[in-house]
Amino acid sequence: MGNLPLLNNYLSVGAILFTLGLIGFLSRRNLIVMFLCAELMLQGVSVTFVGFSTFHGSWGGQVFTIFSLALAGAEAAVALALIVVLFRRNETLDISLWQDLREADQPPVVDEFDAAEVDSEPVYPELTRSGLLPGQGRVPGHDHRTIDEAIEEQRHEPVEVPHA
Amino acid sequence: MGEFELSLSSLITVLLGGLGVYLLLPRGTNSTDRVARLVGGVLATIALVLMASRFGSVLPVKTNEVIFYVLAGVSVVSGVLMITSHNPIISALWFALVLLSNSGLYLLQGAEFLSAATIIIYAGAIIVTFLFVIMLAQPNGAAPYDLHSREPLLSCTAGVILAWTLLGTLNYACTYEAKPLAERPKGSLLVALPSQATVAKSLATHPESIIHANKPHVDSLGRTLFLEHYVAVEVVGMLLLVAVVGAVLIVNRDPAKLTAA
Repeated sequence: MGNLPLLNNYLSVGAILFTLGLIGFLSRRNLIVMFLCAELMLQGVSVTFVGFSTFHGSWGGQVFTIFSLALAGAEAAVALALIVVLFRRNETLDISLWQDLREADQPPVVDEFDAAEVDSEPVYPELTRSGLLPGQGRVPGHDHRTIDEAIEEQRHEPVEVPHA
Repeated sequence: MGEFELSLSSLITVLLGGLGVYLLLPRGTNSTDRVARLVGGVLATIALVLMASRFGSVLPVKTNEVIFYVLAGVSVVSGVLMITSHNPIISALWFALVLLSNSGLYLLQGAEFLSAATIIIYAGAIIVTFLFVIMLAQPNGAAPYDLHSREPLLSCTAGVILAWTLLGTLNYACTYEAKPLAERPKGSLLVALPSQATVAKSLATHPESIIHANKPHVDSLGRTLFLEHYVAVEVVGMLLLVAVVGAVLIVNRDPAKLTAA
């Protein structure tokens, strides 16, 4: 018989992981994130199994966890194949587009958000400007403005764009 | 102390954590939502600290205790960040961190093979397949439907109820088991854990299932797997084969093309 408070600690971690997976599975809308949350629930159960295995001094829990690893592999193969097929039909991973499959007496879910909304503007790296203007430093004595000076001048006088 | 009073002590922790996760769940990108996420993060951290203080100093070795706290903390925090991050790729990476810290927890409990298998199979193969499908389907990061969760309040309420039930019961069962048999309260809903003699008796009929600390680890695990559970191993092998064939057939809609080629 092992250490009971130690077992309690591992079971608590397993319970928290399982609950987090449940919350994520119920509230997220991306098919893949939902599936990841199901895997998180499996992880919570695995921690519990290994905790009991150590507590009882028996291989049973670890053997169970090995089987659940194999099951997770099989599950991932089938579920990802399904996700790829679903994605081919709708070109999106949104679970809401499959709400035709809901129960007959349930009202449909209506989206309230702006479909064009994106997470944030992409941030491009900014390099320090230095050196001469391209193509201008090659002729000696011709034009030795730096890029900063050239840009500053261009602000004042509009550049003539050559027609092709 | 009754069962209900004891489990009340864990209610505050669970409620705080649930509220934190509720605020952290994606709800758009404007500035008030960012503030909500910040507040949610603070609340979830407080809940985590309360939870850790509830564990108390119980582990036999001090070093192991510290390692347990670090690994369990990393595991739970990455779990929260996984279910709340906007970008599915980031979610998958946080899940990989959950797996790494979980395999550390297995290692701490002397399950070396399982620890290695988790990293190799889960983090090495399954997560990579996930990332592959995410890159294939959604290469631009967060989509609009990733920024809005569905019914976050209801799902967090369900989560709080589940977590309170589990943790409260665990808390109570731990104090219940710690008492000698005569002092345990009568009429409890709990069934006592089997006594040492009962476990030893049931393990005696399956001698390969007993963990001996001085025997080689993988050797005895393999013996258990292939002597005690050989039918299950065969069934799981069959299941994997069926799953692979099924996955191939699901993705290729026209099986005639497969055979023609």
